[in-house]
Amino acid sequence: MSKEYTPRDSVPLPPKNAEKLTTCCDYCVVACGYNVYRWPTSAADGGPRASQNAFGEDFPTAMLKSWVAPTQYNVVMHRGKPHNVVIIPDKDAKVVNIGGDSSIRGGTIAQKCFNPDTPTRDRLTRPLIRINGTLQPVSWDLALDVAAEVGKHVIRKHGANAYSVKQFSYQFVENTYAVSKFAKRHVRTASFTFHDTPSDVTSTPGFRDAGFDNFGPSYKDWGDADVLMICGTDPYETKTMIFTQFIRPAIDKGMKTIWLNPRETAGLSYAKSRGALHIQLYPGTDTIVLGAISRVILENGWEDKEWIDKWVNNMWESSSGFGQGTRNTPWQWRTTWGKFQTDGVYGKKGYKQWLLSQKEYEVDAAAALAGIPVEQIHQAAEWLTGGGKGKRPKASFGIEKGFYWSNNTGNTNAISSIATICGAGGRPGQVVGRFGGHQRGGTGGGKYPRNKSPEKVPGRRRRALDTDRWLVSGHTRLAHVVGTTWIQAMCGSEGLKEKFDELVTDNPHQVNSKDKASIIATLKKRADSGGMVVLDHDIYLRDPIGAKYADIIFPAATWGEEDFVRSNGERRIRLYSKFYDAPGEAKPDWWIIAQLGKRMGFDGFDWKDSNEVCEESSRFSRGNRKAYHMIKIAAHKEGKTLHEKLREMGTEGIQGPTFYNYATGQLHGTVRLHDTTLAEADLQSKGMYQGANMLNKKTTHFNTQTGRINIQKHPWDLFSDYWTWMKPKDDELWHTNGRINEVWQSGFDDLERRPYIAQRWPENFVEIHPDDARARGIESGDWVLMYSERVPYHSHTIKGVGGNDFQFSELMKNGHIKLGKGAAKAVALVTPAVKKGVLYSYFLSPGKGQASNSLQGRVVDNISGNYNFKMGVAKVKKIGESSYKKEFVHMSFAPRNIV
Amino acid sequence: MTTPVEIVKREKESAAEHGLCMMTRRKFLMTGSAAAVSVSTISLSLLPGRTVQAEVVKYPRKLIARLSALKDDKPVDFNYPDNGTNSSAMLVKMGGVKAGGGIGPQSDVVAFSYICTHQGGPMQGQYKVVDNHRVLGQCPMHLSTFDLTRHGIVVSGQAYESLPQVLLELDGDDIYAVGLMGLLYGRNQNLMKS
Repeated sequence: MSKEYTPRDSVPLPPKNAEKLTTCCDYCVVACGYNVYRWPTSAADGGPRASQNAFGEDFPTAMLKSWVAPTQYNVVMHRGKPHNVVIIPDKDAKVVNIGGDSSIRGGTIAQKCFNPDTPTRDRLTRPLIRINGTLQPVSWDLALDVAAEVGKHVIRKHGANAYSVKQFSYQFVENTYAVSKFAKRHVRTASFTFHDTPSDVTSTPGFRDAGFDNFGPSYKDWGDADVLMICGTDPYETKTMIFTQFIRPAIDKGMKTIWLNPRETAGLSYAKSRGALHIQLYPGTDTIVLGAISRVILENGWEDKEWIDKWVNNMWESSSGFGQGTRNTPWQWRTTWGKFQTDGVYGKKGYKQWLLSQKEYEVDAAAALAGIPVEQIHQAAEWLTGGGKGKRPKASFGIEKGFYWSNNTGNTNAISSIATICGAGGRPGQVVGRFGGHQRGGTGGGKYPRNKSPEKVPGRRRRALDTDRWLVSGHTRLAHVVGTTWIQAMCGSEGLKEKFDELVTDNPHQVNSKDKASIIATLKKRADSGGMVVLDHDIYLRDPIGAKYADIIFPAATWGEEDFVRSNGERRIRLYSKFYDAPGEAKPDWWIIAQLGKRMGFDGFDWKDSNEVCEESSRFSRGNRKAYHMIKIAAHKEGKTLHEKLREMGTEGIQGPTFYNYATGQLHGTVRLHDTTLAEADLQSKGMYQGANMLNKKTTHFNTQTGRINIQKHPWDLFSDYWTWMKPKDDELWHTNGRINEVWQSGFDDLERRPYIAQRWPENFVEIHPDDARARGIESGDWVLMYSERVPYHSHTIKGVGGNDFQFSELMKNGHIKLGKGAAKAVALVTPAVKKGVLYSYFLSPGKGQASNSLQGRVVDNISGNYNFKMGVAKVKKIGESSYKKEFVHMSFAPRNIV
Repeated sequence: MTTPVEIVKREKESAAEHGLCMMTRRKFLMTGSAAAVSVSTISLSLLPGRTVQAEVVKYPRKLIARLSALKDDKPVDFNYPDNGTNSSAMLVKMGGVKAGGGIGPQSDVVAFSYICTHQGGPMQGQYKVVDNHRVLGQCPMHLSTFDLTRHGIVVSGQAYESLPQVLLELDGDDIYAVGLMGLLYGRNQNLMKS
């Protein structure tokens, strides 16, 4: 079968007796419920009459009824025999994708299944070792023996921190538990982090210190608001169901929406057609805009005083522990210098007093810096509060990466503060949280060994080790990569790649024999000589981490190939059923880690199946937002396994944290966290005080020492030096990047393996404003080069001593920042949907080109340690015409914001 | 399963090649007006040096409009391939904007299903002209949009595949619908009783 998309005009229907299994989409955080219909290819297909097919529907079916698109059909192996599968959204769904709605990603998820007749044929099916420069198939025993011997040697000779583990945080609780147990409990390396951050830190420091959970709200809450502020995302593009099932119906009923976004896509343009306020700001200026809106609210006395009085920490309460308590927060040094801490909203050291004293939050100054009309600031303040007239509207605040990855600490502080003065947090329709990215499949198998991290911020506290800087500094001798590309997934990626070249491919110690002892000896010499050995688990060979650098590749089994558990962005926990055989010898990551762990002499890796891993992990979920321990308790009471119990709950699952009432035998979920409307009787009826149930503070209160919210300052000067340095000079434009609807949390399948999506996006694109395009002679369909010689990156692992040591201008002055180059090719899309002066492209590269992340600064947030992935600049020039410009099959240059 | 006509490869893609492609399709897609389903495999040569196997469903040949009566950017409604569920379609002359599969002197006359390939939403009245773009949508159900110059590819949205394109043939001034590329929403085959 061709990689080209071929439209089909018929599709088989599942017969009446097809087996039906439930699962959820593998991709975005929303995790829609799906049904898998399976029948042997040797059996007859279903027919068009209701009596002849598994849906019980007469075909043709009407709008919203069951239907099978050709992209929802595939052929897989099940127990060694070929079977048809049809995977369609669950038309009986009462939650999430109610009535069987779906996105373009999940809607076509059947294409993901391994089928050698499709572009999935290059799935990794056997363990590989690079011998004489070529990856060659070997036995599991050989691959694991070598990895274990080299791993043990590196730990013994160079210390645990020389063994770096970079893993996905989301790819099912069984796998994340197993890998993190291996890394944190047994290897005990501080050089450990997840796929989207250089160090193991929170994504939203401001939420954390305010006391807000990232995923406290229920999806329904977003639609129950009267006014919704949406920052750094268009939920229609990314988080589709939250928009189509919850936000859009509310907009139709009159919900006001306020959007902070430099660009406009379909959901935002729809909202605008219904009166939405689009604050089209420059990248990185959200803090300024939010601060100015808050200022207008407080100056006019429009804040929710009742809520503030009841739920915001005052002077003594704030002092009793910032964040989660002075002894307990990674940000403890901040308390020392009082950069964020307030005495509440009012008073001499209150938030209001501070805000009014900061010149940058004056509305005119703020509007000028952000490049927006000043009236929008006043309008937003009025909408969010009712402007002191009539009944206060229910306001909610949702954020995502465009927002929290552009000024990570400042933006998340500022949104927490504005939400708080507007009375949001912990009431139906009055919530604050992340909309989400990937699904939530992380369960910790060990404690991060913070004291082993050599990295220290000013003050007394150590910070989680920055694995990129550690690697660039030459300390990583073995890089164990689980399901991530590492290099492109970070930013300033060309510099990272060069270091991998130096440490791995340019090292003289390269394997040139199939003999086990020789391979082990060579790789040990590599590590001992200052080089680096790379282990890689994945489902496809990724370039460059797998294709160029991996010494050993472990083929992983994934979604649909094993029973797995995961939760979504409203903490909904479900079983993702195995419905077909993993390709070749591919194995789930938990199994791979277990074999490796046993060979390295670690105990506790004797699991027989994924349910056993899940059951072992459940107790580590207690107290978490997706605590699933009580599902296991209920299951065992009923003589079932945890997986069996979840299977019974189908696509509906249950929202964590879960509770079990021993008296009634009922399992209970949690609609929202910080639910200040819950009464004592509710807690009693859920059995929260009984047995193994764990009633966490965040169930009814906020995640702070007192259970009340910390309202925080959001000092612009912590970030302004970076922003000002970064600001486009000469012919540069802002370069920011992100996701697109068609490829969202699904890039690991879409970009090369779903012919339809590959046809839509064969290459990366860059949206450029018509004025900027005209000035450079660029038209839609032209190949352009985005390039920069101002890609700043940290060059050392350092200890902070003085208060400003991690401030960008100080790092620069002290020689810790170097300037690298970055470049990425893209097809131009000229559209006024993007702000003038700003370029927007997909963050990786759908084609074979350089990821556009190469243009983003590799400088971590001063406070949190996250990258501000959205901040970059580039020059852009035409380098030719693409073939897409004048053809009719691939891509489209029509704007995405047509209503 | 029926495999329809292969889309012309990118490197050969051009309005002229499309004309060729459509002509070739016309040759084998032409049938009588009966909607009976019959399938046969034929070898056809779309482009020099390339022969593809295609299973061909026999679609009705239906007179739908006269070219001289079409007004720029004013869609004309018709049903195809039958009058049953989800057969509602539109024909439009796109004001001189060339399109994949477009017929007429300007290759700007195309026809598409009105029914969204996501959940069957009706897109009557959603034809949009924005600069030199020609788009159908947003679908009132879930806001998908489709590029009518590029075989109905999804511009933005949740649809599972391109909007089915009705293949056209120009005979003098008469425009005939002669086939479909892509499966109509709600059907397991395009040609079925309903």
